[in-house]
Amino acid sequence: MTRKRRIYDGILNALTYLSSGIAVIILVMVLQFVFVRGWSGVNFDLLSKPYWSGNNTIEFPQFKTGAFDRPDHLGDDIAFSEKLGIGLSDGLDAYKEHQVVVEYLDPESPLHHGVVSTAGVDLGKELGLSEGSNIVNLMLKDTDDKIVNVGAQRKSTAEETVAAMDNISEMRKIYFKTEGGGINGSLKATLYLIGLSLVIALPIGIAAAIYLNEYAKANRVTNAMRSSIELLSGVPSIIFGLMGVSVLFPITQLMGIHTVSIILGALTMAVVLLPLIIRQTEESLKVVPIDLRYASLSLGATQTQTIFKVILPSALPGILTATLLSISRIIGESAALIYTMGTFIADRPRLDQGATTLAVQIWSLMSGEQPNFELSSTISIIILLIVLALNVSVKLISYRINKKWSVS
Amino acid sequence: MDSKHHLISEAYQRRKKGWDKFFKGLFWLAGFISAIFIILIIVFIVRKGIGPFLPSYPGGAYPIGKFLTGFQWRQDSAIYGVAFIVINTIISALGALLISFPISVLTALFITKIAPRSLSRIMTTIVELLAAIPSVVYGVFAAGVIVRWVDSLAAMAGFSTYGGNSLLAVSILLAIMVFPTMTSLAIVAINAVPRELVEGSLALGATTTQTNFRVVLTSAKSGIFAGLILGLGRAFGEATAVSMVAGNSMIGPTFNPFNITRTLTSTMLAGLKETQGLDYDIRFSVGIILMAVILVTNLGIHFVKDRIGRSMS
Repeated sequence: MTRKRRIYDGILNALTYLSSGIAVIILVMVLQFVFVRGWSGVNFDLLSKPYWSGNNTIEFPQFKTGAFDRPDHLGDDIAFSEKLGIGLSDGLDAYKEHQVVVEYLDPESPLHHGVVSTAGVDLGKELGLSEGSNIVNLMLKDTDDKIVNVGAQRKSTAEETVAAMDNISEMRKIYFKTEGGGINGSLKATLYLIGLSLVIALPIGIAAAIYLNEYAKANRVTNAMRSSIELLSGVPSIIFGLMGVSVLFPITQLMGIHTVSIILGALTMAVVLLPLIIRQTEESLKVVPIDLRYASLSLGATQTQTIFKVILPSALPGILTATLLSISRIIGESAALIYTMGTFIADRPRLDQGATTLAVQIWSLMSGEQPNFELSSTISIIILLIVLALNVSVKLISYRINKKWSVS
Repeated sequence: MDSKHHLISEAYQRRKKGWDKFFKGLFWLAGFISAIFIILIIVFIVRKGIGPFLPSYPGGAYPIGKFLTGFQWRQDSAIYGVAFIVINTIISALGALLISFPISVLTALFITKIAPRSLSRIMTTIVELLAAIPSVVYGVFAAGVIVRWVDSLAAMAGFSTYGGNSLLAVSILLAIMVFPTMTSLAIVAINAVPRELVEGSLALGATTTQTNFRVVLTSAKSGIFAGLILGLGRAFGEATAVSMVAGNSMIGPTFNPFNITRTLTSTMLAGLKETQGLDYDIRFSVGIILMAVILVTNLGIHFVKDRIGRSMS
């Protein structure tokens, strides 16, 4: 090998190292970005909180101040009112707007016993202030009988708000926002969608795979069938969205649903999943040894019996793989669902109404006037963790399948 | 065998055969449903997408010539011209391939032939992880990181950008998104190269590196091309992530990499509010164009591949 050759080879090899290095860097950067921006938001409250914060105005028919002690566990940055037993802090919401956040509320605090004062069905209903809420405006009479307004709307700090509270003679009303910014609704909608899509897609996909692998003769019709299904897997997901609202929408209309809905999303996702389920199931049917079929048939079992009692049980791991991959696909899907389920984040999703999945909630958060990177990144982390767990499971299963059939 | 037993057995056989037929029919039906959808998709989308150009369209037909040759897309004043969007889509996808194709092929070569076993396994996992990341997550990454790269690059080159939303940002994003697809297909293709070819090349005195780049890559080229086509399809069809950084220009085409652009998919997603009317229905027309673009480029690449294949053999 000449010196020139060696240098030339070295450069080419270095290029392949460089390319792989770029791939590694990209992965690290994506993960780093979502974790740095979103990790602080990851907690269990997020899963149970609604997205929309509720607006409430309450009054206090019987109002008595008390004398409360500051609990020891409150940090120094929290202002505490001894008359009302409330701890407040300064906060920023997702859009960097100032908030006066209720950090702590004494169990005996008079602020628990308010009634709704805005007109509507809830008028007169008992409603107390709750921890995590943002005090937008608080109207009270001070000891000089003067009306004082404090709160986030007046740009009062927590200190100023507490100072006003400790100088109170009579409480007028509190306008507060309950804590929002959660993903409870999207999480539920995602689970509904996964359940419903799989219920529709798995039976059809598995049956189609059985037909193709066990019955279909090698002829032109079968080939056309196979290539149609193959083509389906190459269709971009936004086209599936158009398909949903044109081909499948009439089906949901028959059910009496006249808007986008989770059911429409599930039907659409079922079509998206079919090629994947068929391919995975067929792969697992193929590795079931032909001897097993002969043995079952020669013992007098019919073909139907052979399929349900011999072949399908052996193909179960493959079907499980297909299921996990399908779930992963549903969780990551966005474009098709924007068309079929809409982009309005529903806190109480219903099957016959539109809702967002976790992925579409990210789209909703990002496509507004002010993109909400924090919550988007937090949801991204959750999605990534789920998808990662699913992928690891798939790998473990396929490893076990390979082991099983290579031994026999 | 006595005759009575024989009769029972025959009825039993008939029933079993009946069930067999029934289930065969059921399985066939499932296969038929799965296969028919591709046709339903094409028929329904074409039907709905052609609607706005027909005289029977409520509110009057939109002139199809204006749609196909227009260089302006304004939702607010109902001007829908798709020609520049097609050009933009092709440019951004080609830009993505320009960045991603060499990196994918070299990474695939690294994984299959050059890296030590442990490193190769790690790299395979990394490619799989990149493939598993959903497109919205890439979108968030692009809107948070890639646009800032583009913005500072533009500042260095003396351009200003719309917050980094640009043709270049779309191309970089798409390059990242098609990378796993192309790499895994290239890996399959390289692994399928017969060992005799490699050994023959080595026996003739070529170095390992020469063999890898000259013999292995050349023999794997049809598989690598398949990956290219798949990657291109994904680049054309990618919607949500692209929409987050495209910027949706109203006129075009966009040739300046630092300028905002508009792709077919970002057009289909932008300002989606009503579910009826011209502004909604015309998205189906854009869908037809998208399918046509994918189909034509696939055929085009096949054609080019055949020409190259013939001239090389």
